[in-house]
Amino acid sequence: MSHPAQLKRRLLREAVAENLSTIEGRPTRRRLASKPQPQPWSPLARLALLGLVLAMLVPAVYFLLRRGPAAQAGPRTAATPGSAVLGRPTGAPGEDPASQLVFPAPRPMDTRVIPLEVRRITVDPGHGGKDQGTVGRGLTEKELTLDLALRLRRMLEKRSFEVHLTRERDETLSLRQRAELANRVGSDLFLSIHINWLSTRQVRGVETYYLGPTEDPELTDLARRENRQSGYSLAEMRPLLEDIYTDFLQQESHRFASRIQRSLLVSLRSVNPKLRNRGVKTAPFVVLVSTEMPAILAEVSCLSNREEEELLGRPLYREHIAEALAQGIQAYAKEVNQTEDKGT
Amino acid sequence: MSDQEAPQAGTDLGNSQHKDAPEAGTGDEKGGATAAAGRGGSRREPLNVGIDLGTSHSAVSASNGQQHVIESYVGWPVDMVARKVLKKEVLIGTEAVDSRTMVDLHRPLERGLIKEGSEKDLTAVRVILEHLLKLVGGKDADGTPVRAVIGVPAEAMRVNKQQLRNALVGTVDALMIVSEPFAVAYGLDALLHSMVIDIGAGTTDFCVMRGHFPTEEDQRTLPVAGDSIDEYLLKLINQTYPDAQISVFMVREWKEQHGFVGKPQQKVEVVAPIDGRPTKLDITRELRAACESVVEPITETMLDLLPRIDPEFQEKVRNSIILSGGSSQIAGLRAALQEGLKPLGGGKIKSVKNPIFDGSDGGLALALDAPDSDWDKLS
Repeated sequence: MSHPAQLKRRLLREAVAENLSTIEGRPTRRRLASKPQPQPWSPLARLALLGLVLAMLVPAVYFLLRRGPAAQAGPRTAATPGSAVLGRPTGAPGEDPASQLVFPAPRPMDTRVIPLEVRRITVDPGHGGKDQGTVGRGLTEKELTLDLALRLRRMLEKRSFEVHLTRERDETLSLRQRAELANRVGSDLFLSIHINWLSTRQVRGVETYYLGPTEDPELTDLARRENRQSGYSLAEMRPLLEDIYTDFLQQESHRFASRIQRSLLVSLRSVNPKLRNRGVKTAPFVVLVSTEMPAILAEVSCLSNREEEELLGRPLYREHIAEALAQGIQAYAKEVNQTEDKGT
Repeated sequence: MSDQEAPQAGTDLGNSQHKDAPEAGTGDEKGGATAAAGRGGSRREPLNVGIDLGTSHSAVSASNGQQHVIESYVGWPVDMVARKVLKKEVLIGTEAVDSRTMVDLHRPLERGLIKEGSEKDLTAVRVILEHLLKLVGGKDADGTPVRAVIGVPAEAMRVNKQQLRNALVGTVDALMIVSEPFAVAYGLDALLHSMVIDIGAGTTDFCVMRGHFPTEEDQRTLPVAGDSIDEYLLKLINQTYPDAQISVFMVREWKEQHGFVGKPQQKVEVVAPIDGRPTKLDITRELRAACESVVEPITETMLDLLPRIDPEFQEKVRNSIILSGGSSQIAGLRAALQEGLKPLGGGKIKSVKNPIFDGSDGGLALALDAPDSDWDKLS
């Protein structure tokens, strides 16, 4: 057979295989079939893997975070910024080895070393009950956020995510209660939905907030390979990495916020071309402080702008917003759930 | 469609030709016989069909040379009087739309997928599919088996595909469901180092062809397409002419006739009633804004997908982008999207010659190439 014919034959074979997977209720292929699919890990295997991960990561992170007295660098020590190799004594006569150790400045951990999964999401419809949020001419923030959250839940469940809402009706909830719910159910992601009110009424836009303030490539690659397909979700890994989790949390929240912001802009600009990109920002929102997973707050529209308010009154536009949020979550989850590195 | 940008020589792909349809049917189908007829003449030879089930239009290409397209509408007479006037139990396509005051009108697909939670919409999909098969002579009295390949949005989930499969039980003998842009690529032999962008009514679907069956990473579905242009155009016209009496059906027709992207070549004037009096309306600005509203999201998605391709093939793919789908025919759209490739060093986007049937033709090509053993598994 010539090459194009072989290619067609292969494509057909794969198309039939995918159809049979759908018919038989088996997972369809998400990655190239040339790579073997992961087998489920037994609890003992998971424990062993966890031990290996900790044995590798904890010393590396310990030395990265601790700073020793300055010393002349040896041939492979931290003479240049960015080296993550452990400090070594220079070997000069009479020196106290401990005092001569050079430890590089602490750096944020590369979250790619721990490929994890996103399975469970808490969606928080902002405000509720006595707290109406912003109020337009006929719409209130609390009813809009609940409507959006219910739509989003439907869309995410179709995408096989487990979804918890902090409220499912018009009721008053404290910020603490919202965060506690997310923590209690062990969510992997937290998304709080809000509608903005800006003093300049002409302005309309979307903005997304996250909580705000081993660089040796060989070490990064080695850890990533060993950690592949760990079977742990973000929520399960968190208690074990307590000390280094804060950086991890903030990095992931930033990534999550970026994905949501991008998705909102791409989807909503098609029906709302004047929508401005007000960016991804940090803010000390309490509801984001006390959550124990990547958490963001999305201002998905502006009730202060008359045209936006009119759009928000339309179910189809709210469906667009919810779809944009669902796509952003899915895009982030895809990145987190990746188990292959293109370069390896 | 506006003729401000006629298909350029060398930019057209595909070679399907069709003559005027001999079929009467419901009176709305545009179709006919393809130049390349496949199997299907023998009594027991299976009839292979490719079906593009679209939000706005559904098309079928069959191995007996037949090709038809209908509007994806189904209507049931609302009462006895309507049934008497219409003389039919169910109306399909343009006939249903034209009789919408007398029927319970359903457009059962939303963003290319069956609408959730409505039995009537499920029934409507089945009616559409049965009608398409009837038009091409499938499932006739002698029991000719029918093998169908149906295209769905690139990011359709398993539950959507299963729902479609369930809706077709008993309608076809074997069914394969593939992503629509993949079907287009297959039909055009664009199997390696290319990207298909299929702009329909409900969705715009992207598929990067890398020489293997596309995975989730290779595909995207945007809920931004012809329908979103129509909604936006309706809104803009209502803002400019608040007293004009217009409907989404009217704006859709205006878009299809005059839609454009970029500098207008001429004024676009349409007629609509204001307080019952037919009045000329200049909608040039509104039409341009509405049509251009899809450019940015489509461009952004292209720019998101292209860097994810293996670096040694990126330039090849950038220069092998194929535009298909009914909404891709908007004048100036291809050029505007090609302009959007400049941040990546430029590229080339070609329009298919036959955007109405390229999806169903691709499905037919898949159906014809699949061996009997594969079809047996899918029965």
